[in-house]
Amino acid sequence: MDIFLSNQVQIFLFSESIIYLISLIAFIASIVIVKEWNFNSTSPKQYKLEKRSFLIMTIIVLTLWIKIALLAYFVYTIDSISVLIPGAMCAAGVISANQYGNPLLFLKIALLFLTGIWLILNSLDQKAEDYPYFKTKLWFYIAVFLLLSAEFYLDFAYFSHISTDDTVQCCSAIFGLSGDNHIPLNLNVLTLLAIFYILYILTVLLSIQRYPFTLFVISLLFLYFAYQSVVHFFGTYIYELPSHKCPFCMLQKEYGFVGYFLWGTLFLGVFFGISNFILKILISYEDKRLYRFTIIFNTIFVILCTLYVLIYYIRNGVWL
Amino acid sequence: MKKFLPLLTILLIAAIVAIVFISLSKKEKMITIQKGNIQKLPLKIEKGHVNDTECKMIITDTTYAAEAVAPNGDTWFFDDPGCMIKWLKGKPFEKEAKLWVKAVDTKKWIDAKKAWYSLTDPTPMHYGFGAREVKKDGYINFEEMRLKMLRGENMSDPRIRKRLLGL
Repeated sequence: MDIFLSNQVQIFLFSESIIYLISLIAFIASIVIVKEWNFNSTSPKQYKLEKRSFLIMTIIVLTLWIKIALLAYFVYTIDSISVLIPGAMCAAGVISANQYGNPLLFLKIALLFLTGIWLILNSLDQKAEDYPYFKTKLWFYIAVFLLLSAEFYLDFAYFSHISTDDTVQCCSAIFGLSGDNHIPLNLNVLTLLAIFYILYILTVLLSIQRYPFTLFVISLLFLYFAYQSVVHFFGTYIYELPSHKCPFCMLQKEYGFVGYFLWGTLFLGVFFGISNFILKILISYEDKRLYRFTIIFNTIFVILCTLYVLIYYIRNGVWL
Repeated sequence: MKKFLPLLTILLIAAIVAIVFISLSKKEKMITIQKGNIQKLPLKIEKGHVNDTECKMIITDTTYAAEAVAPNGDTWFFDDPGCMIKWLKGKPFEKEAKLWVKAVDTKKWIDAKKAWYSLTDPTPMHYGFGAREVKKDGYINFEEMRLKMLRGENMSDPRIRKRLLGL
């Protein structure tokens, strides 16, 4: 429980609690609105509901934007408390300090994508004259809120089970040569890179051709293989050390906090890649701009990764 | 151009599938445990396809190999008798396990508990305990070898190596 003495942990959990409380109020109000909403009605009750829904939507938009910012702060928090936990050198050791860490991180990333979808849905709904997606977005928010509840529980379960006495593994033990972290599907670095670049080209081609389902599948594959490529290859050029394989150390000051930008562009590219398919399922709508954003963010991510390798080669004349 | 894009997309997807299939077909299945050796006999070690359970090295040379067979027939493989002793420590079947070592002098699999051990052999993990079927001066029995191994009194310790080899 000593971990609760950390300023970052206190700020994070306090912020999460406030946001969760507001989300809970919005959730209760959403259930009332979704049950009684009738846009064709001119009754005072509907008029009151419309006024209240405007307030609730504003609250939800605010909380979801803050949740997105809190994901970055969560990563910063676990990275900063690595100095308090024996054995941890970066967020990798802290996140694997107990069984709640990795599920929490995955849930936060999933919520990031769902939150983004909700914000797009809300934006489309508010631009239309007759709120065509109003009920859909409320039901979607209710589903998101259930995940927010699971996340809130995991937040506290995770931090309350971090011991400052027990030694955890550092990133070299988790991801490095001594760890059980092989390249998947029996691939080697060259074939992994081939798949990485082919998947990138596919995301661009599918965005140009506007195939939402195929782009959805390829984007998820790109997320997985991009992660593996960064851990097994591109990361070693960021650290300039062939044995240093870690997705978290690049978030630190020593590497110019490049990890935030790198993972940020990847998540944005993948998010825009999958969002059109989800929008099509929910509201039978496709937004052409999202295809453009997919190309832009994935391209920035790929250029950034590739530049690290090329610059290292130009400077040193050798590959790692 | 627009007609060409779907074709290119299909070709690229096919390329990914091909890469993954070729990679998976090359997969070498390493053996770390062999089940069902109820008769507790020494099993043939196929060089390059078996992992030492303790040091995780692939066994490419069986000169000093060892095997441990649990009462239920599960068999583990080792490239060095010292690895077997380290691994066996604390196992529930430590006493009942049937242990085999490859004899350096007769090239046969022999009972590890009846074998004699040199102290200065160039074993893969540099512990130095090479098994022999025939006793000679300077060789020690299994129990002495086990104690020396667990105490760390073996050739992997520079002081012991200096004392034994005079280097």
